[in-house]
Amino acid sequence: MPALPSNSSSSRLGETFVDPKALMAIRNLELRARLVVEGFWTGLHRSPYHGFSVEFTEYRQYSPGDDTRYLDWRLFARSDRYYLKKFEDETNLRCHLLVDQSRSMDYGSVGYAKADYARTLAATLAWFLNGQGDAVGLFTFDGQVREFLPARHRHGHLRQLMLALEKRAAGRETNLIAPLRRVSELVRKRGLVVLISDLLAPIDQLEPSLGRLTAAGHEVIVFQTLDPNELAFNFHQAVLFQDIESERDLYLEPDAVREDYQKRLSAHGEAVERICRQLGISFHRITTDRPLEMALSDFLRSRSRRGKSIRRRGQSSAAPKT
Amino acid sequence: MNFLAPWFLLGGLAIAGPILFHLIRRAARERVPFSSLMFLRPTPPRMTRRRKLEHPFLLFLRCLALLLLATAFARPFFTRDIALPTDPAEARQVVLLIDTSASMRREGLWNKARAVADSYLEKATPADQFAIMTFDRQPRTLMSFAEWSSWSADQRAGLARQRLAAVNPGWMNTQLGLALTSAGEQMMTDAVAAKPAARREVILISDLQEGAKLDGLQGHDWPVGVKVTVERVDPPRKGNAGLEIVSRTGGNIEAENAIRVRVANSRDSSREKFQLAWDGDAAPMDIYLPPGQSRTFMAPKFGAAKTSGELHLRGGEKTFGDVSYYAAPETERTTVAWFGAESVNDPEKLRYYFERVFPETGQRRVLVSRPYTNEAFSAALLAPAAFAVIADKLTPEETTSVRDWLDGGKSALMVLTDSRMASTLSALAGLTDAQVTEETGGYALLADVDFAHPLFAPFAEPRFSDFTQIHFWKHRRWEIPAGSAARVLATFDDGSPALVQLTVGKGNLLVLTSGWNPGDSQFALSSKFPPLMQRMLDWSGAEMPVRFQFLTGDEIPSPGSLEADSPPGQRRSQVEWQKPDGKKISLAANAPFTETDVPGIYSATFDGKERRFAVNVPLDESRTAPIAPDELARLGVPLQITSDVSVAEKRRVQRHLAQAELENRQKLWRWLIAGVLAVTLGEIALGGWLARRVRTAEVVA
Repeated sequence: MPALPSNSSSSRLGETFVDPKALMAIRNLELRARLVVEGFWTGLHRSPYHGFSVEFTEYRQYSPGDDTRYLDWRLFARSDRYYLKKFEDETNLRCHLLVDQSRSMDYGSVGYAKADYARTLAATLAWFLNGQGDAVGLFTFDGQVREFLPARHRHGHLRQLMLALEKRAAGRETNLIAPLRRVSELVRKRGLVVLISDLLAPIDQLEPSLGRLTAAGHEVIVFQTLDPNELAFNFHQAVLFQDIESERDLYLEPDAVREDYQKRLSAHGEAVERICRQLGISFHRITTDRPLEMALSDFLRSRSRRGKSIRRRGQSSAAPKT
Repeated sequence: MNFLAPWFLLGGLAIAGPILFHLIRRAARERVPFSSLMFLRPTPPRMTRRRKLEHPFLLFLRCLALLLLATAFARPFFTRDIALPTDPAEARQVVLLIDTSASMRREGLWNKARAVADSYLEKATPADQFAIMTFDRQPRTLMSFAEWSSWSADQRAGLARQRLAAVNPGWMNTQLGLALTSAGEQMMTDAVAAKPAARREVILISDLQEGAKLDGLQGHDWPVGVKVTVERVDPPRKGNAGLEIVSRTGGNIEAENAIRVRVANSRDSSREKFQLAWDGDAAPMDIYLPPGQSRTFMAPKFGAAKTSGELHLRGGEKTFGDVSYYAAPETERTTVAWFGAESVNDPEKLRYYFERVFPETGQRRVLVSRPYTNEAFSAALLAPAAFAVIADKLTPEETTSVRDWLDGGKSALMVLTDSRMASTLSALAGLTDAQVTEETGGYALLADVDFAHPLFAPFAEPRFSDFTQIHFWKHRRWEIPAGSAARVLATFDDGSPALVQLTVGKGNLLVLTSGWNPGDSQFALSSKFPPLMQRMLDWSGAEMPVRFQFLTGDEIPSPGSLEADSPPGQRRSQVEWQKPDGKKISLAANAPFTETDVPGIYSATFDGKERRFAVNVPLDESRTAPIAPDELARLGVPLQITSDVSVAEKRRVQRHLAQAELENRQKLWRWLIAGVLAVTLGEIALGGWLARRVRTAEVVA
C-alpha cells in the first residue's frame, strides 16, 4: 500500500497542486473541478503513485435467474462451479455524492467557506467519476434532502449536477438521520456513497445513519470537511461567539476554552473515526486549506484499497480455487 | 487646593465608562460567527471578572482626559487666606446686654449666660463691633465699642471673655426697661454712630423674670435699625419664694411691736407651704401661699430688745431672697408749737385739721402743743419746737420770743385769720405797718402758684399742680410794701397774695392770708392740704424721719447730717460704716452710703452712736417665673427672630464670592483644559496607531 500523503508531503506537493484559495476564486464550479482533475492527472504522471487502476473484477456465485452470458466458463471448466464474471460495464460505479449544505458549512476562515470547499470537492469527484464513465448522483441536504439527482452517466447529467451543486441551500442545522435515511430509501442499487460534511452533529445520530447505508451494501466514503480554525481555534480576544446554525450566543475567552474545545473536538473526531472503522467506512478528515487534489487522491486510494480488499476477499473466499 | 464647584468632581466618575468599555467593548459590539458551539463551554464567571483591560495606556489617557475635564469644571484654585471684604454694609454693631441681677444667682444660670455670650463673641467677625453691658438696677458698660475696636481682631473675643469672667451677678433687682433703652442709646453714641454698620443688634441675655421692671419701654423711641435678640437662660430648677418686711403696724409701737411681711411665691413654683421664723427662733410660723400669689402676713413677734434680725422663709427652693433683714427703727419726735386758743376737737377750727395731718408712724411722731405752762407762755417750751403755727394775735412777749426763735433759723406759719393780726405780722416781719384788710367780695381761688419754690416743687407735675379747685370763702388782703424781700408763693385770683414767704433772721415766716377751717375755705378738705403741711414741716428743717429698711443698691443717708447743728467742738466729721461682711468704710458726715450691694444689716457709727440699717433684695426679684414671650414685643421692643441663619447664609455667599474672585484670578481651569486637549490629542494619536496596527495584523493574517 502506498504511503498516505501526509501534511508534510502536501507542502512538498504544494508546488504541483492548485492553491485552494486561487481555485475558489474561480466562480465556475465545473471549471474548478476540471482544473483539479486535470491538474491531478498531470501531477499524477509525475507523481510516485503508480500501479493505480480503476479496473477491478469480481466473481459472484451463480444463482438461478442470473444472466448466463456472464458465466465464466473457464472457471467452470477448472472448478466445475458456476461463477459470474463481472464485466467492466457491469462494474461501472454508481456513485452518489452526499453534500452537506447546512449552516455550519458556511463557516470559513481562509477566505471561503467549508461549503464552497465541499461543493468543489463534490464537483471534482463528479467530474472525475464522470470522466471514468461512472454514474454520478447527488444529494444535497441540511436537515433534510434538498436536491436529489439520481446516479446517471449520460450527456448533460454532469452539467445538471454542477448546477444543482451551485444552488445554495437555505438550510439550517446539520441533521444526518433524516437525509441518510432518505438516501437509503432512494438508492436501491448498491454503489458508492460519498458523504461530504463537517459531521458537527451529535455522535449518536451518526452511527445508525451510516450503518443504514453500509447495511444496504453501499460503499461509503466520508470526507469530514473542517476549517483549519475549527481545529486550531485560533481566537484570542474574548468575544461573543455565535452559533451559525442556532444563532445562540456564547461569551468566551478563547485562551481559556481552547484546550477544552480541542479536546472535545478531537474526542468527537475519534468517535466518528471509530464508528467508520467499525462500519468499514473510509474516513477522511480534510481541512479546507488542503489542496483538493489530495482529497481526490484520498478518494482514489480508498477506492483502490477497497478494490484490493475485495479482490483479496474474492481470491481467498469467493473465488474458486484452481 | 480648593474647588469652587466641587460637585463637578463627581464627573470624574465618568472614567468608569472607559474602564467598562475597555473591559467589555468588543464583547458587547462584536459577534464572531462560529460553525458550532457544541464543543464550547461558556467561560466561567470567575474568569469573566478577570478580564484584562484592553490597551491600558489608551485607557489611562482617556481617564486622564475625563479627570482633567471634571477638575477643570470644578474650578480649582489655590487656597489662600480669603480676607472677606470688610464691607461696612455687612458689619454688625452688637451690644451684649447681660443680666447680673440677683435672680441670675440661681443655679447654673450665670454659666449659661456666659456661654451664650461667649458663643456670640466667637462668631464675631473682624468687621463686627461689640460692646458688653451688664445690668441690674443700673446698666453698666463692661466693654465699650471703642475698647473693642482698639484691640487687635484676633484678641478681641479673648479679652472680652476675660472681662466677662470677672463679673458675677449681684443682689440687685432688675431694671430691664432701663437696661434695654440704655443699650439702644449706646448704639447711637457719637463714636459708634460714626462707623457705619449694616445691622445694630442688642443681644439680651437674661432669665427674663417677671419681677423685672419694664419701665420706660412703653413708647420708647428706639433708634432706627436697632434690633433686639432675646437669649433667655433657664435654670434647671424652677420656682422661688421671697419675703419682704413691709413696715411696722401703726398704733402703739412699743406695745404691738408687730411687723408685717409680704411673701411672694413665683408662678412656676411647686411649693405652697412655708414657714416664717426669726433667726434663732425655734417657733416658726406656718404659712400657706399658692404659686403665683403674694400675701402679707404678720411676722412672728420680734424681740423688743433686739435692734436687728433676720426673718427666714423656710420651705422654699433655697435659692435667694428667702431671708429678710430687719433693723428696728428709731422714732423721731417732732414738736410743733401752736399759738392760738383753739380746741383740738373743734372741727370748725384750724388745729382740729392740723393735728390730723401728722398721724403717728413708726418713724415719726409729731406733737402739736401750745408752749404754755399753766396758761403762761414759756419760751423754754418754744425752743425745741421744729415748727410753729401762729393762728392768733400774739402778745408782745410772745412776739419777741417767736422772733428770736425765728432768728435762730426756725420757720413758722402765720395764718391771718383776722385783720387784727396785722400788728403781729408787722412785729414778726419787721415791717413798719402791715395793712391787712378783710376781703368780702365772694370766694377766691388760687390763681398763681410758684412751683419753683421748694414748698410747691413736689406739686410741679401737671397731675398734682391743680390748686384751682380749692375755694377760699374768706381771705385777707395784705398789701405787701414795695421794696420788701417778701416772696409771694401763691396769689388769689383777685391779685392779693395767698401765701408769702418772709425771711426773719436765719428763719422764715410763711404768711397764709386765709385759713383752712371750713369757715374760711375748703383747703383742709383738699388733697393738697396734708402734703403741703408735711412739706412745710420738712422744709422748716424738722428732723426727717429716718428709714431703716433699704433695698440693695439704695443710698443710705448719712446719720451724720442729722447732727449737723451740733456744736463745732463735738462734731465728728466722719461716719464709720460697717457692711454685713465686716468691711469698714469711713465716709464724710454728710456723704450718703452707696455700697449697699449685699443684703444684710449695715451699721453706721457716728459720734459714738450706732444706727443699724437693713438692706434687702427687692421682693420683685423673687418673682422668677419668666415673662410672657410677647410682653417685650407688646411694649414696642424691636425684637428680632433668630438672625443667625440669615447672617450665616450671607457670610457663606460672601465667602463664595471671594473664592470665585480668587479662582477667576488664578484661572487654573485654562491649564486643565489645555491639558485635556493635549491628552485628547495623544489619545487620538495612540488610538489611531493602535487601530492601524490591528488592521495591518488582520491584513497579514
